[in-house]
Amino acid sequence: MHVPADPGDGKTTTVVAHDGRRVAALVHDASLSDEPELVRAACAAAGLALENERLQAELRARVAELRASRARLVEAADAERRRLERNLHDGTQQRLVSVSMALGLAESTLDSDPAGARRIVAQARSSLGAALAQLRELSQGIHPGILTERGLGQALQELTYTAPVPVTLAVSLPRRLPEAVETALYYVAAEALANVAKHAAATAASVTVRGGGDQVVAEVCDDGTGGADPAGGTGLRGLSDRVEALGGSLTIDSSPGKGTRLRVQVPCGS
Amino acid sequence: MRIVIADDSVLLREGVVRLLREAGLDVVGRAEDVPSLWEVVAATAPDVAIVDIRMPPTHTDEGLRAARELRARYPSLGVLVLSQYVRPSYAFELLAGDARGVGYLLKDRISDLHELSDAVERVGRGATVLDPSVVAQLVGRRRPGHDPLDDLSQRERGVLALMAEGRSNRAIAEHLVITERTVEKHVAHILHKLAIPAGQEDHRRVLAVLAYLGGTGGAGPGRPAR
Repeated sequence: MHVPADPGDGKTTTVVAHDGRRVAALVHDASLSDEPELVRAACAAAGLALENERLQAELRARVAELRASRARLVEAADAERRRLERNLHDGTQQRLVSVSMALGLAESTLDSDPAGARRIVAQARSSLGAALAQLRELSQGIHPGILTERGLGQALQELTYTAPVPVTLAVSLPRRLPEAVETALYYVAAEALANVAKHAAATAASVTVRGGGDQVVAEVCDDGTGGADPAGGTGLRGLSDRVEALGGSLTIDSSPGKGTRLRVQVPCGS
Repeated sequence: MRIVIADDSVLLREGVVRLLREAGLDVVGRAEDVPSLWEVVAATAPDVAIVDIRMPPTHTDEGLRAARELRARYPSLGVLVLSQYVRPSYAFELLAGDARGVGYLLKDRISDLHELSDAVERVGRGATVLDPSVVAQLVGRRRPGHDPLDDLSQRERGVLALMAEGRSNRAIAEHLVITERTVEKHVAHILHKLAIPAGQEDHRRVLAVLAYLGGTGGAGPGRPAR
């Protein structure tokens, strides 16, 4: 904003500074230059009032951001529940219904066609096996037991067994982390690895976790095509929200042709 | 063969008892938690203990820990651990150091009478049993760089999987319906490819193969979990 040094009309300008920044300009009667104390006092008051305004605006923006992030977390949890319900309904429940029907059929044809009944029972058992496998997978998605029981290192190791690309793992943690931190880092790694397969056309990935002191840093890198949108899709935003809820930060470094590096930093004070 | 079964679920416990009896095996004791398992083993001196991995009070890995402690106290006791989940980590922990007379099996597997009695018999005579689903996950995982497993033929990968399940050359031959001599040739080639020393006894061989399969990424032998 341009402020004339000489506004004319018997007026003059005094700049108000706060913390070395020019925050306002006081245009006042030239005669007041003879009363510097008054002008200084007015400047000080104006400076404080403006600083106050600025802080309040910042606070409002922060609160709005937190509210939005909280809403996203709740929505993510709800979306996950809906997904689970669908999976259970369309997958496992269907299978169990068909097993029940098969057993009913076998029961009614046991005397009239024992060989046929035996075949149906065998099929039903096979269907049940598939249902169990499906439930296992679902269960793993809800919560990987190994994470709670053995910690992040072991859980990440198991992730590498089923990851869609080869993963090199390096974990250096002097002790177990708080549960919320382990959970967040696990899901970051799991989601990041799933993304690698989907979008990046990568041939390999690496996961490193280093803890110690009062923070833990995790990185997931891949050798894919890069160019991931730093603003990220909803998946990455969900991870960001999770991490930020713990006071941490998530950054993505992804230049086209140079692969992608996802870095998470979370405080975990002793 | 004398067997005890420990599981806090009545349904599963009695179901397994029925299957074992159907297979002509002798169930000499039952337990519903770890303390009573110890009592029953002390009282009946069984050949094999079948133990659910999840037991009271925390229902996480009590059975696994009990299995390790039982084996330490009774070296000739075979222990077969049952789990609902494919957890290579737990399998490694169970087998760590000494894979003789120990097994990790998915509960799904034991609904098949033949599989159950086969596993019990193998564990009872000091062999190793690792569920095929666990092995499949380890064999199928993607490895960085050039994967030596890619140089194996389909048949050899099959032999590798059976080795990782803890089977002997003879059992592999029966399973694949080929001669034992052919199995030996495949095994020699596989061990050479994976840089695993040949000529080991089965229980050491299975540990070496699993260490390779379960490594932390990158070619070469890894290490089983602590």
